[in-house]
Amino acid sequence: MANLNLAIKENRPLSRAEVTEKYPDIPPLVILKADVQRRGVHYSEAALGALDLELHATTGTHIFGARDGKIAARPESLLLRDGSSIITTPTPLELDPYLVDLHEGRPFLFEDGEPVEEVDYWPRPDFYDKTSSSGTLMQNVVSARPQRLNIFPYRYCTFWNNGNGCSFCDIVTQMKKGKEELGIPARLDPLEVKEVVWEALLEPGRYAALFLTAGSNVAGKRAFDEEVDYYIEILQRVGELFSVPKIPSQLIGTAFDDGQLERLYRETPLTSYTADIEVLGEELFNRHCPGKAEWIGYKEWKRRLVRAVDIFGPGRVNTGLVAGVELTSPGGYKNEDEALARTLEEAEDLASQGVSTVYIVWSPRPGTAIGDQKNASLEYYARLAAGLHGLRGKYRLPIGFDDYRRCGNHPDSDLSRLHNF
Amino acid sequence: MATAIPGDLIELLNDPAATKVLATVDEDGVPHLAVKQSLYVDVAGRLVYTELLESSRSNRNLVRSIWFGKSVSVIVSGAGGRSFQVKGKPVKTHISGPLFRKHYLEIRSLLGDVDVAAVWIIEPQEVIDGSYAARSAEERAKFPFFDHLDRLVKPAATAA
Repeated sequence: MANLNLAIKENRPLSRAEVTEKYPDIPPLVILKADVQRRGVHYSEAALGALDLELHATTGTHIFGARDGKIAARPESLLLRDGSSIITTPTPLELDPYLVDLHEGRPFLFEDGEPVEEVDYWPRPDFYDKTSSSGTLMQNVVSARPQRLNIFPYRYCTFWNNGNGCSFCDIVTQMKKGKEELGIPARLDPLEVKEVVWEALLEPGRYAALFLTAGSNVAGKRAFDEEVDYYIEILQRVGELFSVPKIPSQLIGTAFDDGQLERLYRETPLTSYTADIEVLGEELFNRHCPGKAEWIGYKEWKRRLVRAVDIFGPGRVNTGLVAGVELTSPGGYKNEDEALARTLEEAEDLASQGVSTVYIVWSPRPGTAIGDQKNASLEYYARLAAGLHGLRGKYRLPIGFDDYRRCGNHPDSDLSRLHNF
Repeated sequence: MATAIPGDLIELLNDPAATKVLATVDEDGVPHLAVKQSLYVDVAGRLVYTELLESSRSNRNLVRSIWFGKSVSVIVSGAGGRSFQVKGKPVKTHISGPLFRKHYLEIRSLLGDVDVAAVWIIEPQEVIDGSYAARSAEERAKFPFFDHLDRLVKPAATAA
């Protein structure tokens, strides 16, 4: 308690131990996860030596890049003892990341030279080393988390065409790297996706959800029609593999209009829908997401999310935040208390209309407009997780489609494991 | 501190005919008990429990236990009144990977088209022999006043 009191007196950011002490109702493992996401990881040579390319998934088909800007064979990500994932990126040592090293022969997270928690590397999917009928390595068509199949249909975002990409986004940089260094197709063939998903499903008990996301594509008769058409085509081809009309699945797309949303639901096996607003508050949205602001606008983005609830159903629609960008300068909130209050106020407005809000910890990446700034304090991320989780409890919003197993990237939705709705 | 389960009790725990009950506690401290025949002891001496339902009370309570360091109990009862209790702490849950896959396949081969949510590893902290004979002997040794006198009368004693 002495350190916590001293930290409060000195008005300095709390350490992980102090945050854990101050918030006893938030599981220490969830706090640790948020901190690892916040600070990133660095793999020791010994930890990399324990990486077995036949057993473990290694970094590959990310749609976004690593914090150290490298593409190399490293663990795709980490699993904690409670079954939750830490989706994190390798980070330069000078940024003070957690170290992944061996302790008694097993990978552990180290902080200040001390082992703090054991971790597992993600298991390698059976299909990764196979090739599709076109000769493409299957892991470059579809990728996987511990229990989710990821489809990234294409790797560009037309908001960048006039320089209006999001301030934290490196999708274009990563697309070039993926194409040049890994041979990843820039645009997937829906039939090839179906072929790879079929192969993936031969592994028993591995996948509990199917997931799609790509960048926004404004093309079409109505803006984003081509983006919607393409998702529908892929989902329909994949849907042919299943005996049921709807499957556990999630699409993160642009905020589509009513007709587009209805088509997505009616014509595909899709069961949940996400349109990431990225940051709550109209001025911040306009600043950080100028393309989204230009083509849709903040109020309309929110309206479309609410409309999606009518189509997909309560508890099946959410939006994501890149938490921490709301505190960057210029234009950010003055302090974390204000940021938290304003963010939760907006999130509650959405929750009261059936739309959940989840966050990812903003990971400043090289080559992005705000990549040289720092993300928020751990205490902020802990309070935000508890706040968003609390809203889901208040409005009884299930988040099973985007929880620790189906996604694993949201400390706030990890907490839903204790909910009984 | 982990404790070892004696060999004869491991045998009972791994006996498919034995009845196994997992006791967990909810957020209000209310115990939840459920018969869990999928419990067994692995080669490292830890309890392994295959949970079929993600939303079950047991699973939620196990999550709470691993998050906040709470204990769970397992009671095993076999033929002839043999019974014991293991108190332990959930230390790991597998939701993917080789161990999960092994249990997924095994359970489905036994029960048909069922799902598996998680494979829990519970580290034993204390083993209590719950058989009447063992508990009775223990009580008599520790609490000599806890006996009815008529049970202590000599079989051949008379009033004369």
